[in-house]
Amino acid sequence: MNALRLLPRRIFAFVARDFRLFVSYRMQFLLRIISILAVVTTLFFISKIFAGFTDPQFSQWRDPLATWLTGLAVLNYFMTGFSSLANSIRQEQMQGTLESVLLTPINLPTVIVASSAWDFLETTFFSFLYLFFGRVFFGVEYRGSFFLAVVFLLLTTVVLACLGILSASFAMVFKRGDPFGIFLGAGSALFSGVFFPTQLLQTHAGPTLGSISLILPATHGLQGIRQVLIEGHGLAQVTQPLFTLLGFLVVLLPFSLWVFGRAVRRAKREGSLIQY
Amino acid sequence: MSAISIRNLSKTYPVPFRRLRAFFHRPVKEPVEALRDVSFEVDTGEIFGLIGRNGAGKTTLTKIVATLVQPTGGAVTVHGHDSVVDDEHVRRLIGLSTAEERSFYWRLTSEQNLMFFARLHGLSDRTAKERIKDLFARLELEEVARRRFGELSTGNKQRLAVARALLSNPPVLLLDEPTRSLDPLAAARMREMIRSLAQQDPPVTILFTSHNLAEVETLCARVAIISRGRIRAIDTPKNLRGLTSGSEMVHITISNGEKISFTRQHNDDRLDERIRELQKDGVKIIDVETERATLLDVLERYEAADYTDGGGL
Repeated sequence: MNALRLLPRRIFAFVARDFRLFVSYRMQFLLRIISILAVVTTLFFISKIFAGFTDPQFSQWRDPLATWLTGLAVLNYFMTGFSSLANSIRQEQMQGTLESVLLTPINLPTVIVASSAWDFLETTFFSFLYLFFGRVFFGVEYRGSFFLAVVFLLLTTVVLACLGILSASFAMVFKRGDPFGIFLGAGSALFSGVFFPTQLLQTHAGPTLGSISLILPATHGLQGIRQVLIEGHGLAQVTQPLFTLLGFLVVLLPFSLWVFGRAVRRAKREGSLIQY
Repeated sequence: MSAISIRNLSKTYPVPFRRLRAFFHRPVKEPVEALRDVSFEVDTGEIFGLIGRNGAGKTTLTKIVATLVQPTGGAVTVHGHDSVVDDEHVRRLIGLSTAEERSFYWRLTSEQNLMFFARLHGLSDRTAKERIKDLFARLELEEVARRRFGELSTGNKQRLAVARALLSNPPVLLLDEPTRSLDPLAAARMREMIRSLAQQDPPVTILFTSHNLAEVETLCARVAIISRGRIRAIDTPKNLRGLTSGSEMVHITISNGEKISFTRQHNDDRLDERIRELQKDGVKIIDVETERATLLDVLERYEAADYTDGGGL
C-alpha cells in the first residue's frame, strides 16, 4: 500500500533524473529533431513517386506518406514499450548504479517501470513530431477518433511491454544475447507493415514468411491505428485487431510476470543482479 | 534487542548453467563457498568491525545484510526484520556506503544525485533539501554541491557516498572503508563523525569494514575476524590482541635518557612494581611506551592457522 502511494513520487524521481541527464546532452536533442524532419521530408518526396499508383486492395496506402508517418511514429512507440524495460536494467547495470538504486526501499519491478517512464515521455514527443511535421509542412490529413487510436497505441504498448518484461528477465540472467530483442527489433520493421502492406509478404515471400507478421502484436496494433486514423473507422470496424491484441495480453501478461519473478530470484541467488 | 542479528549464515555462489555446461562437456567450475555458518549480533549503537583479507567474505556478508544477495542458509535480521522475507523494510533501516565510485550518476551534480536518492527513499522535496544541506555542511561538501559528480576528487566522491548512506537517517549504517581515499585530516574528521553517530540519541548502529586496522582498533567496540568465509574470532580489540600473545614489551625512559625495557604479561604487576622501585630511588620517569600485538598480528596469525591446520590459534 505504501509502495503504491509512493509510486508516483518515485516515477517522478526517475523522470527528473533522466530529464537532467537528457538536457546535459543538448546537441543530441537538436540533432534528433533535425533527423526526424529530414526523414519526413525524404518520405514526402518518395511518396510522390507512388501518387496515383496505389492498388485498390491496399486501402490504407492511398496516401503513402500518411501511412509511413503513422507507421514510423507508432513503431517508435512500440519499440520503446518493448525495449525500454530491459534497457533500463542494462543501463543501470553498466553504469554501476543499480546497486545503489536497489539499496533504497524500492522493489525491482518499480525500478523497471519508473526508470522507463522518461523513455515513454521522450518517445511520445518524438513520435508526435513525425505526425506534426507531416501535418504542418506536407499537409498530411488524419481523420477518425484520436481517442480510439490512443487506446490501440496503449494496448499494443502494454502487450509489447510484456515482451519487454521477458526481455528484461533475459537481461538479468544472461546479461546479453536476448532473443526477444533480436526477433522483435529486426523483425518488426520488416514484418509488421511499417513501410509496405503485409499482404505483399504473403504474395512474394510465401505463406510461411508471410504468416510471421500475424504473430507480431505490432502488426495488429498498426493495422488498428491506421484503420482509425487514415480510414476513419469506428470501434465496430476495428474489433478484429482489438480482440487479437487483448488475446496477446491475456496470455503474455501473467507469463511474463511469472518469468520475471523467477529471473529476479535467480539473479539474487547467484549474486549477479548488478553484473552485466 | 540486537540491531543486527546474524544466525548460521552461509552463502555458496552457484555456478550458472552448471548442468548445461556439463552436458556440452564444457569445463565446469566448483560452486564458491563465500560464507559458512556465520553467527554474531551487533548491539544498538555499537560500532562493530569486520576485518579480513580480500575475498574473505566481508563484501558478501555486507551485501546479504543490505538485501542485495540472498543467503543459501541461515538468517539475517535488522531490528527484528528478516533480510529476505521483509527486504523492503530492511532497506528502510539501513544505509550503505562503499568506496565504489561508479554508483553515482556522473553527469549530475552532487546535489542532484542526492536529491534523486532522497526521493527514492520517499522524502519530500522540502525535507530532502534540508537534509542534503545539513549533510553537505557536516561532511564539508558545500563547495562541490553544484559540481558534477564526475568532476569531484576521489575523497569528495567518497564523502558523498557517506552522505547518501545517511540521507534517510537510518538506524543502521554499513560502512565499507569510508576513509580509504581521504587525506589524514579528513579521515580523522570522518572517524569523529562516525563515533558521534553511534553516540547520538537515538544511536546509529554501525557495521564497519576496513583494511585500516589501526582505524578499526580506534573506532570499534568489538571486532570480528573473518577468514575464508568463517568467523574466526569476535571480541574487543584489546582481548583479540591478548589472544595472540599474553605478553607485551614495556620501555621506560628516565631523566638521564636511559631506557629500561622489560617484558610483562597482560594485567600482571610488573609495571607497577618497576615504577614504584624507580620512584623509591628518586628517579624521574620521562616516558612509558608499550609494544603490544596489533590487530594485524592477530589477523596474520589467524590466516596462518587457517592455511595450516584449519583451526584456531
